[in-house]
Amino acid sequence: MASSGSAKVAPPPPPYAGAYQPQGVDEIGFWKEDDESERALANSPILIRDEALNAYVRGVLCATVGHDRCKAARVYILRTPVFQATMSPNGTLRVFSGLLLRIHNEAELGAVLGHEFGHFEKRHSIARFGAKRAGTDLLSWAAVLTAMANNSQTRASFNDLQLSIYGRLFRFSRDNEREADLLGIGYLNASTLRPQTASMIWQSQMAEAEASAAARGFKKPRFDQIAFFASHPPEAERAATLAALAAPDGANREDGADRYARAMAPWLPVFLDDQIKLNDFGASDYIIGSLARNGWTASLWLARGDLYRARGNPRDLVNAAEFYANAIAADPSLATAYRGLGLAQIKTGRLAEGRAALRHYLERKPDAPDAAMVRLLMADKEGTQ
Amino acid sequence: MKRPLWTFLWAGMAICAATPLAANAYREKGIAVAVADSALMVTPTRDWNRLAQRPGKKAEIWTLDGEQLNDVCWYGGIAPGEPLIRERSRKREPLPKFTRTTLLPEIPELLEATYRTGKQIAAFTITGSEPDHFLGQEAVRFTYEYIDNDDLPRKGHGRAAIVKGLLYMATFDAPRLYYFDRSFQDFQALTDSATLH
Repeated sequence: MASSGSAKVAPPPPPYAGAYQPQGVDEIGFWKEDDESERALANSPILIRDEALNAYVRGVLCATVGHDRCKAARVYILRTPVFQATMSPNGTLRVFSGLLLRIHNEAELGAVLGHEFGHFEKRHSIARFGAKRAGTDLLSWAAVLTAMANNSQTRASFNDLQLSIYGRLFRFSRDNEREADLLGIGYLNASTLRPQTASMIWQSQMAEAEASAAARGFKKPRFDQIAFFASHPPEAERAATLAALAAPDGANREDGADRYARAMAPWLPVFLDDQIKLNDFGASDYIIGSLARNGWTASLWLARGDLYRARGNPRDLVNAAEFYANAIAADPSLATAYRGLGLAQIKTGRLAEGRAALRHYLERKPDAPDAAMVRLLMADKEGTQ
Repeated sequence: MKRPLWTFLWAGMAICAATPLAANAYREKGIAVAVADSALMVTPTRDWNRLAQRPGKKAEIWTLDGEQLNDVCWYGGIAPGEPLIRERSRKREPLPKFTRTTLLPEIPELLEATYRTGKQIAAFTITGSEPDHFLGQEAVRFTYEYIDNDDLPRKGHGRAAIVKGLLYMATFDAPRLYYFDRSFQDFQALTDSATLH
């Protein structure tokens, strides 16, 4: 759908209809199931209950979709290292920590939350359910009829019908996504945030996927093709469409990057640690690099050191030692950077320096959970030198 | 035309009858057994079950009450360059590898990264590690906590030693509520009985 690149600016959202109640057996059943799953979600141990963070994310949602609409949503932040957010029919908005790590400012966060709110407002889940049921009903009847007149021609027609129905279902899902993108940008256009930023999310998603593929030795992934079973439009299309849908007069608005960085500061090292331990070197290195665009901090250097030490090639260990040293230069009280430095140096044969770094680690964190183990390592290396 | 087909069918049936279906096994108290097809020998101090499904070529799971209620996972001689458990896709979803330069204090980190990558979870904490004696060697003993995809908080305890460049490890994973504390002493006794041959 390259033609959507020439789309007009997204219209402002329609007037809000107020609190919606489910209609008909299907939707009432859907909501009941959803209420049950929300009850479980509210008790989930991976829920991040930090009041400040929750209030902040909710604030960005309200700033994007407007204060009347945002009353319909309950926000839950989950500690799961994936780039994702979902909103279900009853208004449960799930935001995953991997998303918060990859977003750079309020406008990007608003674009994602607005997109999800668009699915909710247009009631896409129930529409998709209806389409799936209608499609499979038709196929079931067609199978019965094919069995009654069983010859090669009817079988061939049945196969064609099957393909076209499945194809239609996936296209329906992609069209839902396009509609949600349109609505999401509509909210942003009407807000005080910069709508042009929305397209950046998909730009950086493509760059991250390329970095991940390159580090694993794959060919550059294609972002312009639509696979038969794709539930979402390709990233390149979304980036182009979102850029075109953004209102030009919004280009000078703020994107809230500073406020976003301040709100994420307590959680960034945690989310970063969750990412670098996923053994996806290319993607993690890309994310660290993109966060460092606003300047390298001690926790970014530390994360990069940990990432390189975990991959563990001799060249990685040399780099890791350098990154840890940068982290220490930026924040000399960062005990875990001394630990990483010590281990990286010992592994590359720099025993005396490694022991000294580990000694610094224990001085700064005498009650570290692995203090006894580190002491043993230091004593061992004393003997081997 | 019929004969080759019948011969083929009979041969197939004979092969099926000769290979027993993969089955869980009983590990009886006091009888020494080799673990994970390796040099690791264990003499259980009480009866255990060994699960037929193995998480990797060099790993094996024992349990008392059933999978995920109390799992002892044995890793028998992981060589440098190998992951702890089987990789779903060696190219697309690789797991972290044990390397020649991996140090004893880094073994808990290796297990942590393997769990996080394999299960795609974020809530995992190493709560402590200290020197230990395992398989007659200098070893590491560590504790951890994590929340698995079933949203159930679990506790874990591991003991690992590197012998002649190969990693030998035993871990005990059980729900934090009730199961971990109830069977921890059994894990302790079981791993104390482990020797290398």
